[in-house]
Amino acid sequence: MRRFNTVKLATAFFLASEAVFFTFLIAQFVFFRANVHGTQYGTTPLNPPRTLIFTICLLASSGTIWIAERRLEAAQPAGFRFWMMVTIALGAVFIAGQAWEYAGLLSKLVTPERDLFGASFFTLTGFHGFHVICGLIALSVVLMMAFKRDLGAREIAGVGAVSMYWHFVDVVWIVIFSLVYLSVWI
Amino acid sequence: MAPAQEATRWLSWIGTVDHKRIGILYMLTTLFFFCLGGLEALLMRIQLSWPGNGFLGPQAYNQVFTMHGTTMIFLVVVPLLLGLANYLVPLMIGARDMALPRLNAFSYWVFLFGGILLYLSFMSGFAPDAGWFSYPPLSDRGFSTQHGVDYWALALLGIGVGTIGTAINLIVTILNLRAPGLTIRRLPLFVWMTLINSLLIIFAIPALNSALVMLLMDRQLNSHFFTNLGGGSPVLWQHFFWSFGHPEVYIMVLPAFGIISEVIPVFSRKPIFGYAFVAASTVAIGILSLGVWAHHMFAVGLGKPWDFAFGASSLLIAVPTGVKVFNWIATMWGGSLRFTTSMLFAIAFLFSFTIGGLSGVTFAAWPLDLQTTDTYYVVAHMHYVLFGGTLFAVMAGLYYWFPKISGRLLSESLGRLNLALLFIGFHMTFFIQHFLGLDGMPRRVYTYPDLPGWKWMNLTSTIGAFIMGLSFLVLFWNVIVSRRSGKIAGDNPWDAWTLEWATSSPPPEHNFDAVPPVHGPRPLWDLAHPAGERA
Amino acid sequence: MHLSSLNPASPEAASILDLWNVTMWICGSIMTIVTVALLYIVFRFRARSAAEPAQVAGNKRLEIAWTVVPLLLVLLLFVLSIRTTGAVFDHAQQIPDIIVTGHQWWWEIYYPAANAYAANEVHIPVGRDILVGVEAADVIHDFWTPQLGPKVDAIPGRRNLTWIRADQADTYRGFCAEFCGNQHAWMQFRVVAQDAGAYNGWVARQAQPAAPVSGKDDAALGSVLFRRRTCVNCHNISGYSSQQQYAPDLTHVASRKMLAGERLENTPKNLRDWLHDPNSIKPGCAMPNLKLSDEDLTQLTAYLETLK
Repeated sequence: MRRFNTVKLATAFFLASEAVFFTFLIAQFVFFRANVHGTQYGTTPLNPPRTLIFTICLLASSGTIWIAERRLEAAQPAGFRFWMMVTIALGAVFIAGQAWEYAGLLSKLVTPERDLFGASFFTLTGFHGFHVICGLIALSVVLMMAFKRDLGAREIAGVGAVSMYWHFVDVVWIVIFSLVYLSVWI
Repeated sequence: MAPAQEATRWLSWIGTVDHKRIGILYMLTTLFFFCLGGLEALLMRIQLSWPGNGFLGPQAYNQVFTMHGTTMIFLVVVPLLLGLANYLVPLMIGARDMALPRLNAFSYWVFLFGGILLYLSFMSGFAPDAGWFSYPPLSDRGFSTQHGVDYWALALLGIGVGTIGTAINLIVTILNLRAPGLTIRRLPLFVWMTLINSLLIIFAIPALNSALVMLLMDRQLNSHFFTNLGGGSPVLWQHFFWSFGHPEVYIMVLPAFGIISEVIPVFSRKPIFGYAFVAASTVAIGILSLGVWAHHMFAVGLGKPWDFAFGASSLLIAVPTGVKVFNWIATMWGGSLRFTTSMLFAIAFLFSFTIGGLSGVTFAAWPLDLQTTDTYYVVAHMHYVLFGGTLFAVMAGLYYWFPKISGRLLSESLGRLNLALLFIGFHMTFFIQHFLGLDGMPRRVYTYPDLPGWKWMNLTSTIGAFIMGLSFLVLFWNVIVSRRSGKIAGDNPWDAWTLEWATSSPPPEHNFDAVPPVHGPRPLWDLAHPAGERA
Repeated sequence: MHLSSLNPASPEAASILDLWNVTMWICGSIMTIVTVALLYIVFRFRARSAAEPAQVAGNKRLEIAWTVVPLLLVLLLFVLSIRTTGAVFDHAQQIPDIIVTGHQWWWEIYYPAANAYAANEVHIPVGRDILVGVEAADVIHDFWTPQLGPKVDAIPGRRNLTWIRADQADTYRGFCAEFCGNQHAWMQFRVVAQDAGAYNGWVARQAQPAAPVSGKDDAALGSVLFRRRTCVNCHNISGYSSQQQYAPDLTHVASRKMLAGERLENTPKNLRDWLHDPNSIKPGCAMPNLKLSDEDLTQLTAYLETLK
């Protein structure tokens, strides 16, 4: 009896395990915040407004991948490919924004070694960024497959799995952004 | 067979995605690591035979005990149980293979490479030596300057990936590939326990991975997650590690419960007593196991609220574990018992695991823990549940399912010798350690003072360990001899009732020519009793 | 074999023993029931024919009973555990009488009231509850005297508190109970419980600086060597050097019964052997081999023996 789609079910549990992993990294960050009183820096070394813009890009890419999926279901391969490309572009912009942020922090000598803020920040956002990059690779693979031939029913489930992963990565970022950036901004 | 064909036959094992072959690969690999871990144990016991022994210096001893624990937990017990599940679960649910065969193969190879990486540390000159739980600051680079701990962390990360992969695969297989009529409430209990187990793995291993990542950052990137000098805390490691570590011990025992729940009914000729209770209590254990971790930290001084809360949850979790023992005994009650080696191991399990479970209760009453924690009493307890519990159950499962896997029965007379030596050796090794711990002998010591009684107690323990080693030689001999010339098993040598017995021994690659109809938890019993009760 | 934890010498340890006894009764009874049941079953229900037994699948009432009874038993243990916690920990005092700091691989003992340092040998007055502050200088250790009270971890960056008490004048063993590296096994200590007079005398003497040595005999030459051969960089001798507690305080080393965390009896010969090559006795310990000549050894030993 096949009640659920195998690939999507497997992805769901994989994402559950990733959620646990991120929860513990976030817990460590919260612990750090609770234990280190005040900030070592006069003002925060982060740039919340700029990161908000990149956040919006990432969240928009969740929307665009959703549109892409609908195009695929409606058997519009050209539309699917277009919206996938937009999704990848938005994701790449987000990564570029992260790289910009990292460069700024490292130039101010905020490193994992210097203090617990650096360590927690880079671990949490670093693993998130790594997951985004893996997602971009997966999206690119799907896109290349879509260029080679029209995707059929079997591949649609796989695309659905990648899309689940992408939404997950977004949700994790919302949590991270709120905890790490909004908490110093607001 | 022509040489080229012979070579292909061996190579095909490397490229296989068949769950049966992967299961066998797991079992053989864990057997190999078991020998390594067992050797490490014997080395430790030799060193501890008498006080002031110079067989192993402290540096060597610390590496040996760290590798022993790490090997037995990550490279033997967990993968062995998952390998057994790998082989059996698709058969027990009437499926053709696991849901994701390539993920299955990938998981195995990642596990193997993780294990090899761990043992490569010996070749680097220094194996990990900070204990299997690697507490910082000791495991931080300031106090563990060699690379052993790095090998440990990286190997565990790799092994963890493989474990999660298998867990996902098992969950999806169980949820999605059951034969028609096989509802969740008719699942063989081994499958049920594997399902809960896999869900626990999904929770526990990522928790460990997060801690390992942070430890590696502390060691290699000079961060200060676990050093209080930088605002971090060594206690944070303990919280994270035990959030993994406690569910881990249930991961190591639930499938064993599943094996016992299969073996005892078949050799009592009655169904399991209280299927619903056994299943429900497993769910309870799964959920509760997420909330007991700080009972490993009673001596840390977390404060009364922590101690009370975790004492309560730890006392509570004893109940669903304990009732299973009563259910198994009640299954045997009124039965028609056949004392095959498998059944005898199951009975040995009942006796030994109960001792281990009860000694666990003595920790949950946390003021007692403040005397017994970190002593040989803990060593005794953990070996009673993991060896007297899980390993005896695995032995029961081995004698039960070996005919299915290989087509031949293991020798019963060699089996009884195996059991006798193992039972005697086990209790001789570990029962006496309860007293050593109560008398003050701490654990993880390379030697001890010549206090009254400590020498003969330790020597007795060592002799018991060697008797156990002997029993495993008997087992290996049994396996080798029976593979070649054991009695042919046929489809169902035990007259058992679950679906794996409805196909040949060994099963064909596609598992079933035809899956029998399923109308209850014992399909083959129902087939043999057409007018009988339906579940 | 006298099972230290079960042979308490203090009310704290005795309370724990009381809880242990109740727990043993409960666990022992359950184990007896299980064992007797198994033995009975094995004989009574062995297969006598090929006939199938009654296929009893369960009995809800029985299962509820054997769930509820253990639940009540663990509830009892929970309540008793809370009571024992109160008996062991609840005293009003917050300021420790003694502060013990775990180092790799020795115990620094400090008496704040007398401003006195000792190492590896704790003295307490008989019949009084003593609050011990437990800290760590490097990695996690654990301070454990099985007969006198519960163990507690020594964690760098925090201070834990535990109560110990001895009702009899005697010497009690102590162990480090958290794996802390190479010489965890030889990080033992002893607690000497004395009558008030003897105890006060001991503390007063420990608070005294070292008796000065003069002259040209071996001891005097040894005191010079102590500085010149860099011993002074790690070891403190009050009145002679002022060093932080990097290594065991030696101001009154000759008054101790044992050396090196209970590894050696404190005799001149053992002390000399230790100075000659510490790592051959306690492999991995932090004290280096200073390549002392025979003459150096004689003089240093003589000097240290004056530090009573």
